Amino acid sequence: MNNVAIPILALGLIAGAFAVFSVAIASITGPKRYNRARVDAYECGIEPTPQPMGGGRIPVKYYLTAMLFIVFDIEIVFLYPWAVSFDSLGIFGLFEMFLFSASVLVVYAYVWRRGGLEWD
Amino acid sequence: MSSALIADITAPSVNYYMLAPILIVLGGAVLSVLVEAFYPRESRRSAQIALVLTTLVVAFLAVLNIKVDAILGFTIVNSLAIDGVSVFLQGLIILSALVGALLISENRIDPLGDAFAAQSSALPGSEDELAFTERGWYQTEIWSLFLFSVGGMLIFPIANDLLTLFVALEVMSLPLYLLVGMARRRRLLSQEAALKYFVLGAFSSAFMLYGSALVYGFANSVELGDIAKALSASAANSNLMLVGGIFILIGLLFKVGAAPFHQWTPDVYQGAPTAITAFMSAGTKVAAFGALLRVFYVALSGLAWDLSAVLWAIAIITMLVGTIIGVAQSDIKRMLAYSSIAHAGFLLLGVIAQSKAALDGSLFYLAGYAFTSLGAFAVVSLVRDASGEANHLGQWAGLGKRSPVIASVFTLFLLALAGIPLTSGFVGKFAVFAAAYEKGLAPLVVVAVIASAIAGFFYVRVIVLMFFTDASGDEVSVVVPSFATAAAITITAVVTIVLGVIPQPVFDLLSNALFLK
Amino acid sequence: MVIAFWICAALAVFGALGMVFSKKAVHSALFVALTMINLAVLYAILEAPFLSMVQIIVYTGAVMMLFLFVLMVVGVDSSDSLTESIKGQRVPALLGASALGVILIGLLGNITMTNIGFDQAYVAYDGNIDALAGLIFTKYLFAFEATSALLITAALGAMVLTHREHAEKPLTQRDLSVLRFKSGNHPGSLPSPGVYARHNAVDIPALLPDGTMAEISVPKPLAARGAIRLIDLASKDEVQALNRGEAVITSQSTDRVEE
Repeated sequence: MNNVAIPILALGLIAGAFAVFSVAIASITGPKRYNRARVDAYECGIEPTPQPMGGGRIPVKYYLTAMLFIVFDIEIVFLYPWAVSFDSLGIFGLFEMFLFSASVLVVYAYVWRRGGLEWD
Repeated sequence: MSSALIADITAPSVNYYMLAPILIVLGGAVLSVLVEAFYPRESRRSAQIALVLTTLVVAFLAVLNIKVDAILGFTIVNSLAIDGVSVFLQGLIILSALVGALLISENRIDPLGDAFAAQSSALPGSEDELAFTERGWYQTEIWSLFLFSVGGMLIFPIANDLLTLFVALEVMSLPLYLLVGMARRRRLLSQEAALKYFVLGAFSSAFMLYGSALVYGFANSVELGDIAKALSASAANSNLMLVGGIFILIGLLFKVGAAPFHQWTPDVYQGAPTAITAFMSAGTKVAAFGALLRVFYVALSGLAWDLSAVLWAIAIITMLVGTIIGVAQSDIKRMLAYSSIAHAGFLLLGVIAQSKAALDGSLFYLAGYAFTSLGAFAVVSLVRDASGEANHLGQWAGLGKRSPVIASVFTLFLLALAGIPLTSGFVGKFAVFAAAYEKGLAPLVVVAVIASAIAGFFYVRVIVLMFFTDASGDEVSVVVPSFATAAAITITAVVTIVLGVIPQPVFDLLSNALFLK
Repeated sequence: MVIAFWICAALAVFGALGMVFSKKAVHSALFVALTMINLAVLYAILEAPFLSMVQIIVYTGAVMMLFLFVLMVVGVDSSDSLTESIKGQRVPALLGASALGVILIGLLGNITMTNIGFDQAYVAYDGNIDALAGLIFTKYLFAFEATSALLITAALGAMVLTHREHAEKPLTQRDLSVLRFKSGNHPGSLPSPGVYARHNAVDIPALLPDGTMAEISVPKPLAARGAIRLIDLASKDEVQALNRGEAVITSQSTDRVEE
């Protein structure tokens, strides 16, 4: 088991090291001249729009997108063990997975037809 | 990976015949989502109502079908148990859902439409909401949610392992959290109720899940039968099992609304659209008590001695909280909510007693209470003033003089809730209390009788208010409902009387109601 | 393994405490992410690689993202109100929670668990994921299929609560452009101000070819504030003279009209 974990661990370490390195190297080697514009959010050169009360609220539509993402994410999670044991599960596994995906697909049809995927 | 060496996983045997009611309801729910997706808005509502009613009727026929053949047993590797109790409970839940569906379909008593917000996502009072209301458009997703909730309720009392039990709990609750928050009138109250219900419900689910994990640590299985076996095999009861068992009970007691896990009940019953309150008070109670009875009778009976102190305390607190705080209520829906808490306390006697007589009594009690409660909330939805339902008790003064029929029917339901003879409430209470007394629970029965007497006070107070008090001058009227609500009230009133006068057929039906172990 | 457990467990508890005690919601969310990742490492140590990966993908990835979206919907800077809406609940809640903690530690702290059947299951199913599949698709088949009902409800609920449909179809870009031409007003872009004026400035109206002033060329807010610098007739003559080539711009002639 451990030998399987070592490459993953190594990859994680490399990724973490790269993140730390990128941030650190910029602050070590780069020139340090601070002004207001540098800490501002960059919005195509336009002066950033003043945010309303509460500091930048986004439309609730993002929530719908995130929620739909989670729904289909969890569907994918179930697909994974099914795919791995596909050979030993055989045809009944295919049927079970089809039933599951078809049910979730129904709600996808609903979301799509009712404009939940459109951004207006 | 040397998967060639591994034997194929064999398909579990599924008894479609026994699962037919659940599959029909869940299939209907999926169809109803398709209706939402592909039907034009104008015909959506009527299509949904037709679909839901057909689904429930067909599902009920499927339940009757199981009953006749009496082929009972476990299915899908012991994860579901079809036995006498589950068939009875499934039939009861579907009938409650049918009456609930009639109430939900009502759109005559409110001049603006049905009991649900025209568009729940629109802000209360916003232009979008007004535009939808003016056009007479409805939020028809309620029907899909309703069917999913019924499906969860059907699975909940037949789940034979803790994992299936948990999934069923969520399938049942999640749509209800949504439905509670979708009232057309007093939307902020309704949304607040939904949020409270959701947060507390998630909290209690967490307890139940933690308990299941602990029990798995003890029994090495989540199957109810295996847990019972592990309990009888171990000489000394492990703390793991004790804590796990209590945590599972907390999750279930939350759903039945037993004190001290009852805090959500008054707020949710008050805030939810009254049709949903009616359906919840019947369906959730039946399903949750069914699951509680099964878990307690099948899995935890070996733990009964260790849990008895806890359960006694919970039963006594529940009965007293339900009745004593109920007396102080001035809102009719909150009063009925506390009444439902008190009834949960009475029903807990049947859970603690652990005998066939207690089981029969509890199941009969549930049947009687489900219909009475549905009827009572149906009547509540009819008494209105200009701003919607008139829920303040003061507004009900003198109702008997203006609408004698409705006031009399409501009196019938109140008497049944109080447990007066010749109503279903009396028979159920008598059966449960007698069974509890036989098992030596005399102190509990004494508390229950005292609590019933106190509860009787606040039911009678409403009757006195309706018939012997002059109207306060508020413009309250009883709206003439459409056929659906009228039918619902008639059915529930008839059932309440019939079960009270000739209860024997139901007890005969219950004679083979046993838990598969 | 034991060392890794204590490190991850301590970090997970630290994250959980940090979530409760940090005042800013975003910090809380990041602390939750810390807890989730450490739990994932714990699962990996316990030889549950699938659960560990799912923990990272679903919880640290998807659910944390949902949390952050919700925080942004509510407003990133909004911090919790620390006033008690129900008086005097904090002390009993704290006492109750600590009592529960003490009871749980007391009852469960001295339990010794023996590992039964884990290795056999590994051998029988050739690994963790196959064993999971063997359970999900047989014993817990019904729970698995019922999960699809949960997912449908979740998506339905998200739609019902957040997706606002409009009674009238909102106008598309095409509709808008058709309307703009139909109305017969100014379909194209408005003339820019300051054209033909002596200095290019947004507060000076453009002059049309016949020398009249195009008032639509000046932004409306300026007009409303009365900040338009009109060109008087004399300067109009001057411009016309310029056009005919009879006059030359001098620095003196660019004095402002209203000053």
